[in-house]
Amino acid sequence: MTLKTTVIGAYPKIGEGLDGQELRRALHRHDRGEIGDADLDKVFDEVTRSAIGEIESAGIDVTNDAQIRWDDLLSPFTRTWSGVEAGPLERFYDNNTYFRQPVISGPIVTDGKSLVRDYTFARGVAKAQLKATMPGPLTFATLASRDDHFSSIEDRVLAVADATAREIAGLKAAGATMIDIEDPAVVASPKHIELAREAYGRFADPDLAITLVTYFFPADAVLESLASFPVAAVGIDVRSRDTTAFDRLDAFRTQYVLLGVVDARNTRLETADEVARYAERALKLVPQERLVLATTTSLEYLPRDVARAKLAALVAGARLLSGEKVIA
Amino acid sequence: MTDNVLLTTTVGSFGKPEYLTKARAQAARKKLGAAELEELERKATAEWIRRQEDIGLDILVDGEMYRGDMVAYFAERLEGFKIGGLVRSYGNRYYHKPVIAGKVARPTPMTVSWFEYAQSLTSKPVKGMLTGPYTLLDWSYNEAYPTRRDAVLALAEIVRDEARDLERAGAKYIQIDEPAIHARPEEIEIAIEAMGIVTAGLSAKTISHICYGDFAAIYPQVLDLPVDQLDLAMANYGYRWLELFDRNPFTKELAIGIVDVHAHETETVDVAAEGIRKGLRYVRPEKLWPHPDCGLKTRTVEECVEKCVAVVEATKVIRKELAKVPA
Repeated sequence: MTLKTTVIGAYPKIGEGLDGQELRRALHRHDRGEIGDADLDKVFDEVTRSAIGEIESAGIDVTNDAQIRWDDLLSPFTRTWSGVEAGPLERFYDNNTYFRQPVISGPIVTDGKSLVRDYTFARGVAKAQLKATMPGPLTFATLASRDDHFSSIEDRVLAVADATAREIAGLKAAGATMIDIEDPAVVASPKHIELAREAYGRFADPDLAITLVTYFFPADAVLESLASFPVAAVGIDVRSRDTTAFDRLDAFRTQYVLLGVVDARNTRLETADEVARYAERALKLVPQERLVLATTTSLEYLPRDVARAKLAALVAGARLLSGEKVIA
Repeated sequence: MTDNVLLTTTVGSFGKPEYLTKARAQAARKKLGAAELEELERKATAEWIRRQEDIGLDILVDGEMYRGDMVAYFAERLEGFKIGGLVRSYGNRYYHKPVIAGKVARPTPMTVSWFEYAQSLTSKPVKGMLTGPYTLLDWSYNEAYPTRRDAVLALAEIVRDEARDLERAGAKYIQIDEPAIHARPEEIEIAIEAMGIVTAGLSAKTISHICYGDFAAIYPQVLDLPVDQLDLAMANYGYRWLELFDRNPFTKELAIGIVDVHAHETETVDVAAEGIRKGLRYVRPEKLWPHPDCGLKTRTVEECVEKCVAVVEATKVIRKELAKVPA
């Protein structure tokens, strides 16, 4: 049996050459008033279709919608949630990539349908298994630049968790069964781990495969705690920084482990052999049926041609492990 | 005497005029030659020198009309780098993120002729503008060096050589930007060690610009960065970094950002002046330089001018206030 593979987060929105830059051109034309919203939407859909197609043709087992409409991890929600607005531009953790910090001015209200349209479209496109994605409540709440409404970080995180629960319910009603919660703050701010766990209790659902996805920082400080979160799976980067995680993965006794083995923040390509060796180390403590190989984070930190090559390496590594013939 | 207090300046880049933006796009498609492009870059540089003089800025910059990106510009001129593919920074903005693919080396000076040209156009001092070694590494993919520290220290020697060449060419002010310095606060010692290599033996005033990140995470350690002046984005942060100085006094010169470069609207003179007053609570006027938060390259030429005018006019207001106070 071959280990399953999946992607994390956003896929590069443009490729090399003029053909690959349709979305970039369309956004410029939209800014200049040369095309309307409907025309721009068509381009977003087409680019979504081609991104999912690339992920699938690489042989990835579980795809997402590639987040082509997302400016950053928080933007779909700062756009749609009442009580929250997109505020100042800030660097996203240790990346030369920026996001708009949430500014919170009132109770957070959502109809829970922020992602339903995009999920439904992707569902019509994807042939592979499809998962949805949300930002984690701790990440959303700790990245806010200002909060004029909630009196404590606890209240803010739990309010975001409640809004997340409504979005998850909306996605479930639209047919989603797998949802990634991208929550780098859980490993960036380990002091809030108990608060984060309480937040995850607000949207725990035994009928959904919810994955807590960590990235950018080692999970070492909180690894055993992550095993007690009410989620079906936990994603851990074991590739991009030194970590003790390989010796401690037996903490996950029932959960799936998404092992980030292909570095989505460096162009140096992993070989299939390297990927397979990472997996072998994890397999000493996690049974094959609960191990999934993944990128360390969003592939959007790479140019699109490198992202494609990274996916190929990921799949080749998984196949090598199962003894399948790998074409280098 | 208020002439030499609150010297006004800018962080380095200005918006490019439309004719240059078009020319750069044509050059990228090989429809315009390098010589023709450079002629337009020189024209735009001369226009920006004249505008800065007209506005009344004290310490000028060349405006970086010849640069697209503050890391790629250097990467394109260094051995060991490959120019990578396009990566998104925000919204619909992309840049070619460089790849360190081998041992880095500097075949020739990279900024000196532009400094000399800009300085030849004005009697006011023009800053030499470099990107620091830590940022060069952090904003590139490292495929070649075993550790990040190895790469940063190799790059430090290159930036040092460029800084020395700028000083030999007459630069009295050399700015070595480190906007990525707080990307990984646990690596601040590496950035400090590297800057020590760059600035050792320079007699020019040295400046480092830092922006967009968690400044609190590296304060007060950043005071050990071996430069004379830190140049900080403040307006965008509501001046909250100043509160850090209550507990650990700021010990360097401070270039203080008093207008937000990511807003189309320009602050009023009153609002900008208030920013200077806030800075004066912590830094003496002869050590405080008002300026915009960051490079202005994302703004139109007109917006750049408005923002710089706000800085200069706000500074005039505060200089008058200072002149009324007996020494």
